[in-house]
Amino acid sequence: MGKVFDPITIEILWRRLISIVDEADSSVARTAFSSLLRDAHDYTCMFTDRFGRELAQGTFATPGQAGAMALGIKKLINSLPEDYFKPGDVLITNDPWILAGHLNDVCVLSPIYYKGNLVAYTACVFHHSDIGGRVSSDNHEVFEEGLFIPPVKLYEEGVLNQAILEIIRWNVRTPEQVIGDIRSQIAANHVCSEKIKQMLEEASLDTLDDLADQIIDITEKRIREEIEKIPDGTYYSEGIIEQPKGRDDIVIKAKVEIKGSDIIVDLDGSSPQVDWGGNVVYNFTYAYVFMAIKSMFAPDIPNNEGCARPIKLYAPYGSIVNCKFPAACAARMQIGHFLTEIIYKAMAPVLPDRVIAGSGGTPAAMNVFYGRRKDGTPWHSVIIRGGGMGASLKSDGKYVFIFPANGANTPVEIFENDTPLIVERRELITDSGGPGRTRGGLGKREVFIVPDDDYAPVPPVNLGIQAGRYVYPPEGLFGGKPGRKGAFLVNGEEGNPYGLTQLMPGDVVTIDAPGGGGYGDPKERDPNLVLEDVIEGYVSLESARRDYGVSINPETMEIDWEETEKLRKGKS
Amino acid sequence: MEKKRFRLGCDIGGTFTDFVLLDDLTGEIHTAKCLTTPKDPSDAVEEGIKILSKKLPGFVSELDEFIHGTTLVINSIIERKGAKTGLITTKGFRDVLEIGREIRYAPYDIFAEYPKPLVPRRLRMEVDERIRSDGTILKPLNVDEARQVVRKLVSMGVESIAVCLINSFENPIHEKMIEEIIHEEAPWLSTSISYKVLPQIKEYERTSTVVTNAYVKPLTERYLSKLKDRLSALGFKGKLFIMLSSGGITSVEIAKEFPVRIIESGPTAAVIAAQYYGKHFNISEMFCFDMGGTTAKSCLIQKGEAGIVQTFEVGRVQRFMRGSGLTIQVPVVDLMEIGAGGGSIAKISKMGTLQVGPESAGADPGPICYDRGGEDPCVTDADLLLGYLDENYFLGGEMKLNKDKAKHGIKKKIAEPLNVSLEQAIWGIHDLINETMAAAAKTHIAEKGGNPKIVTIAAFGGAGPVHAYGLAKKLGAKRIMVPPNAGVGSAMGFFTAPRAFDVLVSHKVSLSKADFNSIEEIFKKLEKDAEATFLSEYSQGGIIFSRSLDMRFVGQGSEISIPIPNKPFFEFKKEEIRKMFDEHYEKLYGRTYPESEIEFINFKVRAHLPEKLLKLSKIENQRGGDISLAIKGKRLAFSQRVKDFIPFTVYDRYKLFPGAKFRGPAIIEERESTIVAGEDTEITVDEYGFVWIEIREG
Repeated sequence: MGKVFDPITIEILWRRLISIVDEADSSVARTAFSSLLRDAHDYTCMFTDRFGRELAQGTFATPGQAGAMALGIKKLINSLPEDYFKPGDVLITNDPWILAGHLNDVCVLSPIYYKGNLVAYTACVFHHSDIGGRVSSDNHEVFEEGLFIPPVKLYEEGVLNQAILEIIRWNVRTPEQVIGDIRSQIAANHVCSEKIKQMLEEASLDTLDDLADQIIDITEKRIREEIEKIPDGTYYSEGIIEQPKGRDDIVIKAKVEIKGSDIIVDLDGSSPQVDWGGNVVYNFTYAYVFMAIKSMFAPDIPNNEGCARPIKLYAPYGSIVNCKFPAACAARMQIGHFLTEIIYKAMAPVLPDRVIAGSGGTPAAMNVFYGRRKDGTPWHSVIIRGGGMGASLKSDGKYVFIFPANGANTPVEIFENDTPLIVERRELITDSGGPGRTRGGLGKREVFIVPDDDYAPVPPVNLGIQAGRYVYPPEGLFGGKPGRKGAFLVNGEEGNPYGLTQLMPGDVVTIDAPGGGGYGDPKERDPNLVLEDVIEGYVSLESARRDYGVSINPETMEIDWEETEKLRKGKS
Repeated sequence: MEKKRFRLGCDIGGTFTDFVLLDDLTGEIHTAKCLTTPKDPSDAVEEGIKILSKKLPGFVSELDEFIHGTTLVINSIIERKGAKTGLITTKGFRDVLEIGREIRYAPYDIFAEYPKPLVPRRLRMEVDERIRSDGTILKPLNVDEARQVVRKLVSMGVESIAVCLINSFENPIHEKMIEEIIHEEAPWLSTSISYKVLPQIKEYERTSTVVTNAYVKPLTERYLSKLKDRLSALGFKGKLFIMLSSGGITSVEIAKEFPVRIIESGPTAAVIAAQYYGKHFNISEMFCFDMGGTTAKSCLIQKGEAGIVQTFEVGRVQRFMRGSGLTIQVPVVDLMEIGAGGGSIAKISKMGTLQVGPESAGADPGPICYDRGGEDPCVTDADLLLGYLDENYFLGGEMKLNKDKAKHGIKKKIAEPLNVSLEQAIWGIHDLINETMAAAAKTHIAEKGGNPKIVTIAAFGGAGPVHAYGLAKKLGAKRIMVPPNAGVGSAMGFFTAPRAFDVLVSHKVSLSKADFNSIEEIFKKLEKDAEATFLSEYSQGGIIFSRSLDMRFVGQGSEISIPIPNKPFFEFKKEEIRKMFDEHYEKLYGRTYPESEIEFINFKVRAHLPEKLLKLSKIENQRGGDISLAIKGKRLAFSQRVKDFIPFTVYDRYKLFPGAKFRGPAIIEERESTIVAGEDTEITVDEYGFVWIEIREG
């Protein structure tokens, strides 16, 4: 029987663990080189106990990376021989099947030793904006997608393995940035290690084991209590996801069974894996199923191993949601992010107040721009972006957000500093939110220009996109209408969002992010709210009339109540 | 010139306005407290000065400095009572303010709320113009359109205009042109232009800061002008200073121009005072706890220093959640403020449970017991019924509290609907607000790497000493310190605030290419500029300059700050600078990379005067050590240990003496506050009149 902590001490040490990870997390913004990390926050820090059980993750973690890491780190640690690690070791890998499902997500992991004993591991996954390879969704195998780093020691007992760093350096387009960001990962792990040791010393502990057991048990108990409140039953849903032109749609089938305090998710019947980069590894599928369950049952409980215990996931091997090596997987979020809303859809009848309609930020979109400046220097920048979130029972959809993933945009001024391009606009799109009793969140338009004057870069400028919802818009719920679809235009004409686009000086690219789906019948929306939306320009006069049945006098900007009543009665 | 002898500190809080008058000749302190007058806060200032004048006739003409802190600015943001504000920005970017940075601050919470922008979309106008990232002009400003836009905003009735164009920090020419047009078209309009308010990269953060400045500028201007006039009318001839959020003080002119820098002006004072006490008593971990009528402010002070952060948020829509407020990018003392005060309203939540705060009854109408028409039960009502406050000695007896009304109100609105006893209701209100504050305190302390069990709580504010004991019990803290005049004690911070000015210039150049002679020129010019501003503000000599560098690896996104010794910059060798950088970097992040190139980003100078020490005046041992003379009597008050009313001994703080020592349960009364200490405490008074409460284990 180990040491038993009183509830106050547990609470304090637990908060401390989270704040330590958050501190490591915020060091990244100060040390990282690429804008995707320092501005867009596409990284996750966490640490596990010595058995690889997740204990805490950064508050601003990206759910996909975090969920996948929680599984991956544990498997990795348990697959290594005992005594594999020595103090001062640093391990690096980007194996998509071990970690977060594509090569750009590189994990750096360090063991933490205290008083000569291994007490914990600290790990971080950074999304590197460049990992070499052909930047596109339409590769056929993982080998085309960039450099594959199996789990190897970057440092052995404090000594750098220069060979590994050199291999990385010569396989990427922007070595200074990539190497700098790997160093930032090492720095983040260092911050975490030092603070953990300090905490152990102050709390007079030799190991984290007892504390870990109790934190995990409390967490498991709390989430099980929430699940138990829902009546037992089995719920079904199906998601249809578009593919590049000329291919059949992908189908994901979900069966969600609530049994006491357990949840069993079975994805049997989902489409087989595909010959392009949309394939999802098991860890990543798990991460977004977990996201749905966590958000419905216990959004406020800090994440750790305990949250995961009640959840079981079956995904057929060789399917799109559990792909086999060496499937291409760079664009796995184009499919994987849909899992959250597919689970919501299954649960909507029984939990109508805990789900949201389809979101324009599902999937998250990524634009990879790279090329050479006029003087020949290479540049490379990645923008991630979201859309309008789906509406819910009580509130309009929020915007503009990446959902269910997370991350920030790149400020226009930073992007223009890092690249030779000009951003002409970044604005909300009127009428893009799906009409409903509560309205879907608005989508966003961004327009990029390749200069053709003295600032013109060496052609071409490459643009790789990962996105979706060009064919099927985010769906509404309970009678709510869908949000607006996404769009990708080059000089006003439809482009191919799945390939690699080569832009010339003078080209204008328009990228529209979709809006969220509405919730409930739009004719039931409070006409005063519709009027407010019209005044602010979120909804047009025409849409107010057509979709919401609200007539507004364009001169006075007042509601014509009589007409409105007629419009609403006419069609119910 | 004869030196004037007095300095007056004045802190306008949500409920009370506090005054501390310092006699620099004798070190003597006089205090006053009166209700804040939200409609015109300068009414309360005048009222307080009149109260003090009764004690010290004619002191106003002998005032050297009037140092002022106010919550006016932050309250107008939280309550959304600022000016009707318009925004002018580059074509294509009017939604920057609303789109923000897109990050979800609570990744697993799909219902998280986000703050609404201070300027609604219909008041956000675009003009055709564009500056490139290197400062060159891509598209010249369409002047006619700009004029139309200004006219349109005027016709829509805006009082204040913010201007923030893309890449303007590299070249403000278009912003300056628009500024000119506004002055021509509508010279009465208040303007906030980004190149003046915050010439820094990142359009959302800059726009948000400039818009906030614009939103609060008209009311700050009106208020400060009026205050200045009223003070003059009262015979004030000294200097008027305003407390900055960063802990320094500044002139009225700068405060009017950049009100966004005085948002945390009130709360900061307590931290500055606590910092001073922390140093004086050599306390390594101190938790400053300032609880007033509307909010509780807290800050962990480690080794006498509170942290400063460069970015903060106001008006968080989800309590305690980082990311749920409006982003403001100016330096500010790293404190935490929550909606918990004596005026916090108790009510029944939607879930049918008790809820206390964050809404406050403020000064008007205030808690029920103030008998000024308030009908909502507040924390102060509960504190009164728990026996902690004396209805006949509130503000030294100047304000009689109505116990019966408070009792009736809590019975009707809390006890009966919840079906609990009156006793359970009043204790529940007190205990719940303590729990709320303890949760926030734990988060704040943990974030800064502290341990709540070893902190000494420094209690300030009218309600601070009443609740410090309950807070300490929840934190596991073992010691509480209550300075003399604790009820107004935060205003002491005004006298200890550093007289300092920070200036910086951005100039990106790599270490290998840098010319150290021209860097010396940069520093010299900065020092000259700082000195000029400084002399106009303080008209004193003896300025000290401290230099520092912001540096980073070439291509990195943010810098580390490196203080450098004061000697001509060309005397440094490049290797020395490199070594300083590597040492700092390694200390922060474990490893450094001497082979990678580094660069300078900012050159910074802080001009400051030697710290003006405040002598804490010792109190005399005039009572000959007989504690019984300080006892006012006994009163039944609630014991959190036995959950019942027990007799507490009531002491008169003004009759306590150095070396006095006694045990709880005790209530110690002073004019502006009341100290509560439970049965498990030992209380001592030191030679400066500070009350120290030690809580025994268990």
